Order: sequence, then C-alpha cells, then structure tokens
Amino acid sequence: MKFLVNPNKFNEIADYIFKPILILSIVLFALGLLFALYLSPNDYQQGSTVRIMYVHVPSAWLSLLTYAVMSLYSIAALAFRIPFGYIFNTAVAPIGAVFTLICIISGSLWGKPMWGTWWVWDARLTSVAILFIIYLIIIFMNLSFENRVVREKVVAIFILVGSVNLPIIKFSVDWWNTLHQPATISKLSKPSIDPTMLTPLIIMTLAFMMIGLAISILRIKTEIISRKSNIS
Amino acid sequence: MIIVKDLSVERQDKKIFENINLSLVPGNIAILKGKNGSGKTTLLKALLNIIEPSVGSIYWKGKLLKKNLYDFYNHVTFIADTTSSLKKLTIKDNINIWKRFFMSNINNTQIETALKTLKLDNYLDKKVGTLSFGEIKKLEFLRLIIENKKVWILDEPLSNLDDDTIELMKQTFEDHCAKEGSIIFSSHQNPGIYVSEEIHL
Amino acid sequence: MKFLNKIIYFFYREYKLNLSGIQDILTNIIFFFVSIFIFIFSIGPDKETISLIGVGIVWTLLLLSSTLSLRKFYQEDFENGNLLVMHLNGFSYGFIAILKTLSNMIFVQIPFLLSIPIACILLNISNEKLIYVFTSFTLGSLILSCLGSISSSMNLMNQRNYLLGSVIVMIFSVPIIIFSVGIINLEESFNSLVNILFGILLIVFAINPWASGLCLKLSLENN
Repeated sequence: MKFLVNPNKFNEIADYIFKPILILSIVLFALGLLFALYLSPNDYQQGSTVRIMYVHVPSAWLSLLTYAVMSLYSIAALAFRIPFGYIFNTAVAPIGAVFTLICIISGSLWGKPMWGTWWVWDARLTSVAILFIIYLIIIFMNLSFENRVVREKVVAIFILVGSVNLPIIKFSVDWWNTLHQPATISKLSKPSIDPTMLTPLIIMTLAFMMIGLAISILRIKTEIISRKSNIS
Repeated sequence: MIIVKDLSVERQDKKIFENINLSLVPGNIAILKGKNGSGKTTLLKALLNIIEPSVGSIYWKGKLLKKNLYDFYNHVTFIADTTSSLKKLTIKDNINIWKRFFMSNINNTQIETALKTLKLDNYLDKKVGTLSFGEIKKLEFLRLIIENKKVWILDEPLSNLDDDTIELMKQTFEDHCAKEGSIIFSSHQNPGIYVSEEIHL
Repeated sequence: MKFLNKIIYFFYREYKLNLSGIQDILTNIIFFFVSIFIFIFSIGPDKETISLIGVGIVWTLLLLSSTLSLRKFYQEDFENGNLLVMHLNGFSYGFIAILKTLSNMIFVQIPFLLSIPIACILLNISNEKLIYVFTSFTLGSLILSCLGSISSSMNLMNQRNYLLGSVIVMIFSVPIIIFSVGIINLEESFNSLVNILFGILLIVFAINPWASGLCLKLSLENN
C-alpha cells in the first residue's frame, strides 16, 4: 500500500493502472447510461425526470467522499509528515469542486420541473452550496500564496478546520430548515428505492468514481512532475 | 554556551547552507558574513529555533536547544531587520511598554543616558511613525539595554546607520562582551571590530 | 507570577495600541450604523417589516463589520516583528493566538456590544428581546474572534487575495448566525440554543490555538 503515500511508488503503480481504469470508466459509464436512460423504469410520480438522479446522487456522494479523503490526507500530511498528502490535496480539490458543481446544477435542473423553481432553500441544497464554496476557498488558497510550503500546510489546516466545521454547518442548516419549514421538503424525503433503480445508480456511482480516479491520477502525476521541476 | 554542530537548512527542497559549525562562549562575538540572499537571516532564525534545521543540532548550556528552549529565550535578545516599535505610539510609550513587557530591572537614569547617547532624548513625545528610518532603528537598539540579556542575536545591525552610531554600536558591543555577554550578528560589510568567530555563507 | 505579569502587560500593550487607533474601531461602528441606514432605505420605512427582519439585519451587519477589521488581527504585529518578539519573550504560538483572540474580543467586539442597544432602537426591536440579542452576541462574538484568529493567521502570507480571510470567517459563521437569530426568534428554546452556541464556542476555542498557532509558526518560519 506504499503507493498511497509515496510519490515514486505512486507513479509506478499509476502507469500500470491508468489505462485499465480509463477503459473501466468508459465501459461503466456507457453501461450506466444505457441502464439509466433506457433500461430503468420511469417514476410513477416524476416520470422521466427521475433519471437526473443517476447523475445527481453519485456526484453528491463523491463530493463528500472527496472531502473526506482530502481530510484524511491532510491529517497524514500534517501529523505524519507525508508530503504526498499536500500533492493529493492540491490535485484533487478542483475535482471535488466539479463534482459538487455537477450536483448543484443537476439538482436545480431536477428541481425546475418538480418544484417549479431552480433553487429552493432546502437544507441539503444549502449545505451542498456551502460545501461548494469551501471547495472554492481551497482552490483560491492554492492560487493565492506565493510560498509553496506555507500554502500547502495552510490549505491542509483549512481542510481540517473545515472538516470539523462542516458537520456543525450541516446540523445548523438542518435545524434552520425545520424551523422555517418550506412546503417542498416532502419531495426530497428519503424514498425507498426500487432495485431496478438501484442497479443503474450503483453502476453510475462506480463509473463516476472511476472517472474521478482517472482524472485525479493524471492531476497527481502532473503535480508530482511540476514539483520536481520546481515550477510551482 | 551556544554550540552549533553541522547545521544545514533546506527550504522547499533547496539547500540554503550546509555544515555550519559554531561555538560561542561568554564574552565572544561571532559574525555571519555573506551576500544578500545567502541565508544569513535563515541561520539566525535557525539559531532561535524558529526554523527547523534539516540536519544538525544546536546546544544551549550543554543541552539540546529544543529541550531547553524557554530557558534560552530568557537569555536572548533578537533584533530582526524589521523594527518592532509601535508606529502609532510615542517613544515614551514604547519604552514604557517594553520595560513592562520584558520585566526589565533597568532604572530610568540608565535609559535616559542611553537615549542621550542615541540622541533621541529630544523626541520623547514624538510618534515613532514620524521619525526617520535611522532613528527608528536606533530606537530598536534601546531594546538591547532594556531587555538586559546575555546573548544578543542581531540581524544586520550596522546597515543604514550613520558613522557616529556605528562607532557607538561597536562601543556597546565591546562593553557587552566585557560583561561576559555574547553577540552573534550578521553583516555584509566589514564591521571593523575584533570578532572571535567568523562564518562565511 | 512573572508570567502573569507578562500577560497583564500584553493587554496593557494592546490597550495602548487600540487607544491610539481608536478611530479605526469607531469607523467600524460607523460602518455598522451606515449599513443599517442603507438597509432601511432599501426596504422602506415600514415599521412592521423592519421589526420583523431587524434581528437578522443586526446580526448580518455585525458579522460584516467585524470581518472588516480582520486584517489588523495579526498582520501589523507580523510585519513589524512583534509576534517574534512575543514568542521570544516566552509565549508559545498557541498562547499568542489565545491572547490575541481575547484582546480582539475586548477591544473590537465590545464596542459593537455597546452599540447594539442603539441599533435595536433604530430597528424597532422590543426591549424584552434586547437581552436575547445581548446573550447571543456575547457568545457569538467570542466565536467570531476565534474564527477571525484562525482565518487571519492563515492569510498572513497571502499577499494577493486579502478578501479570502473574510470569506472564510463568513462561511464558517453560518451556524452562529442561524443559532443566534434563532435564540432571538424562539424564546421558548432559549436555553437549548444557548447551550448549542456554547458548545460551538468550546469547539472553536479548542481548535483556535492549534490552527492559529500552527499558521503563525509557518508564517514566521517562511517569512
């Protein structure tokens, strides 16, 4: 498992697994789209728009997963002095931001036919929007420090402080939302999902994961090279 | 008192200096010489344990500096290339703050004579921000007197000063050495005083 | 005893420093009131509406105005080397962060606390609610000071993007504003909300010395 913390080992392994992952992601994505667009049934209430879920839900899961992995790597980098954590943080933050953005956009595309409006101040939407802003802050921090050592450590500290604060924010937004009770909340309450819908959802999630993994491998490799040649 | 063994510092994977050795006993002066950007300030900061060296170790009174840090800080005055006097306050206020903050046991007459020799005694009620750069720098040296500590670590103390003040500083250095104090300072010019250790970066 | 004296004279120093820059603090207060005026101008002078959203306005503007002075938190002391002097005088980085946070609380936030009653009069907030605004702001301002300490120490070496610090404070203060305004609007759940705010305060107060101290150390190391 050394390739998870060592740039050189990572480069070796990445050369091996990049192509399989790329192929796997293409296959899974095609399969997932096939399932999502043709083979899964319409929702009896929402009709065809339910298919947005197959983009929306995986990206939401992955946006959170990315943040969780980033905080793990921040701990590793700060506490155990593993510089690979900084490389990972710099490389992966934009990917997490893009997942969050996809989640927000697909969510509002889904919301327009369902609720008749692009945006509702629903608890989940609001907390995802806040997560997106936090990702943006991480990216901007990466752009605005001159000194690399300070930058990467400060970003890691910020990610950790954020990981403590995000649950508090989520909790407060939930509380705020139940306080103000928007009329549309029932639409988003957890439905029990049918197996015919669960299969494409899982395939799409895996496909998204593989795509994210492929892009992050590319980005991490670029980051390692640029660090070696002292570009950034 | 201070012993430095094989000190090397790396910043952003770039070596700044390597294998610095130094031993400083009471009553001695050490000077760091080097061009701009050769790492003089970095070495001074490493001596103060602000920057962690990549290789090597520093000892204070026979113990590792890290294990003996606050005792070391109790015996050292550091003057950086920045001036720490508060620009919005008068010289008098600054001296008062320093005197209390550093728990100084210096009495007022000593400070007055120091002010007189530094030719600052006429500006006591002036705000520091209105003084010239050289005067602010001279005011900074008053901290050496107020803190009254054994080891002085000074970053470029002789630059931007007029000849009279440089002479005065040299005199002060010698007096301090006579009182069993020790000094480490960096300079890019030749100071013209007797130094027991010279480090070229 | 010696250490205690040092702490006392740290605050003496901060007092002198803030007294000489009193116009900065007063400008903050003026900003606060001017923005209240602007708010009223933009929503119209209707009494009902104003008293309905008054508490929210007070809190939003308090947050905005207290982020205005964030740059002053460490930047001056960092640039003229006083942070280093303090550290060499026996304060660890985390302890400097705690002291600075307390000093920010005393010298920047308390003037706001004093101006809240006037703001409440202007915004038609009833006298019974004033006590709730006070309680929530006392707790909230402590949290804001801690967050301000964290974000401004993070941005010490940030030479390009000064606004980022304010954005960080504002995004992290979402829970504070929700619960604080909640305290005022829901008097029956006063105790539980105060407890929640207090819990958040304890969390950020625990993070603050670690995060700010580490950032201060980093910035001094690499300056």
